[in-house]
Amino acid sequence: MRKFFPVEDLARDERFNQATNAERMADTRGTSNTGVIRKARSTNRLTPARPDATDAARSLMHGIMVGEIQALEGAGRTCFDFVTGEEAPFELKLDMARQCWDEARHVEISVKLSEWMGTELGQFVENTVLFAAACSQDPVLRLAGVNRALEGLAIDVFTTMKEFGELAGDPYLAFCEDWMLADEVTHVKMGSVWLRKITENDPERRAKALEFQSVVDKIFSYGGLRSESDESPILLARRFRELAGFSDGELSEIADVSLAALNERREALEKTFATSPA
Amino acid sequence: MADPFKARNPFAPWDRRELPGMFDVEETARRVGHYKWAEMKLFEVLGGWIATVPEIDVKLRLGTHCYKHAWHAELWHNRLPELREMNPERLTCPPNDAMVRFVAALTEPEAPEMTIEKLVGVYRVFIPHFISAYTFHLNNTSQITDGPTSRSIKFILQDEFDDWRDGEMLIQSLLTTPAEVKRASEHQARLEILLIEAGGIAGPGTIGSADVE
Repeated sequence: MRKFFPVEDLARDERFNQATNAERMADTRGTSNTGVIRKARSTNRLTPARPDATDAARSLMHGIMVGEIQALEGAGRTCFDFVTGEEAPFELKLDMARQCWDEARHVEISVKLSEWMGTELGQFVENTVLFAAACSQDPVLRLAGVNRALEGLAIDVFTTMKEFGELAGDPYLAFCEDWMLADEVTHVKMGSVWLRKITENDPERRAKALEFQSVVDKIFSYGGLRSESDESPILLARRFRELAGFSDGELSEIADVSLAALNERREALEKTFATSPA
Repeated sequence: MADPFKARNPFAPWDRRELPGMFDVEETARRVGHYKWAEMKLFEVLGGWIATVPEIDVKLRLGTHCYKHAWHAELWHNRLPELREMNPERLTCPPNDAMVRFVAALTEPEAPEMTIEKLVGVYRVFIPHFISAYTFHLNNTSQITDGPTSRSIKFILQDEFDDWRDGEMLIQSLLTTPAEVKRASEHQARLEILLIEAGGIAGPGTIGSADVE
């Protein structure tokens, strides 16, 4: 088996359909569809009150499931791709193996929740950006991109879905999301701890990793998907992110990037509405 | 109420543990180092294969089992300094070159059509060899002086049996034609030959000798 497995070769059964991030975000059944519906209400937060809540929640849950599959695959590759001791510490690999088990459980949970919500596997497209972030040749960049940026996003998503379950009177959903949230905080914390530890005496490598994290954060803030504004479907979960080792400065930076993405999206939509015939 | 000051035997009548054991501290450390190396190689390849298998049930089992073997490696890593090996890396090694060749052959399959080979290597060859190596160790070490190793082996063996059953059931669910059965058995034989050459996970003598001396 090769070291460093390319994202294009990810193995899937016949039900899965892969697409780019932009294509997935353009799916009108999606959570992130802030543009089409934004004029109809004052908030885009994913709540049961949204007219498209059923499809949006299903789409988000399916996105969680495929994201968990890729997180599982990414953590597994980090166990294999790097020589123990020389390229990655033994204890880091143990953490990645632990993450494999956690992500496998998350896939199991989200498959069952998807069934519960009436969704079939493959009903929505999958984008593989998460695994792409796990393909870096530097384990520190993987930790920054996956454990801190993407698992950080997972904290925001699970917090939103937990609230959705509570508001919808669905204790089954809220219960499962809360368990997954606990695991994600652990994963982000792993990323924060290892990033600081490995780059303790290598500021250049740390800067590179943080820059990569910022790029991934920006990609996943696409269209204002996640921010502190009510216009975003997913709320930035500051409290849980603090528990996972994010500093105030880092949180403010993510909030700024997310808000900028939301504003970008808003301007683009306003331009579209202004030029389109009534 | 019984008199609390009445003399009692340190070993209760049902406690049949004995002092003698086949392995001294040095030999135990040697074996434990090989176990750690083998468990590491196993959790690494299980992790690597997750992205390569299209079958979702297999993918999830590999992820779960990956952690269990990492935990076993961690148990052995922690045991080494207790066996007077202050540099655990020194003994974290294969017993010989044949074992390295075995792991290379085990790790070789990558294509998405090769799930049978991947599972056969782990669940019909490697894990059965772990079970026999650990069982031999458990049954031959001193249950008193080497209590910590025995305790770890008991935990590990529980995992190995559970995982072996999971893996074997997955293999049986994938073998649907005579050609697939042949593929599985040929791959198993190829790997088994290499492991015999290695003498087992801890090298020659991994499970002792059944010959009359």
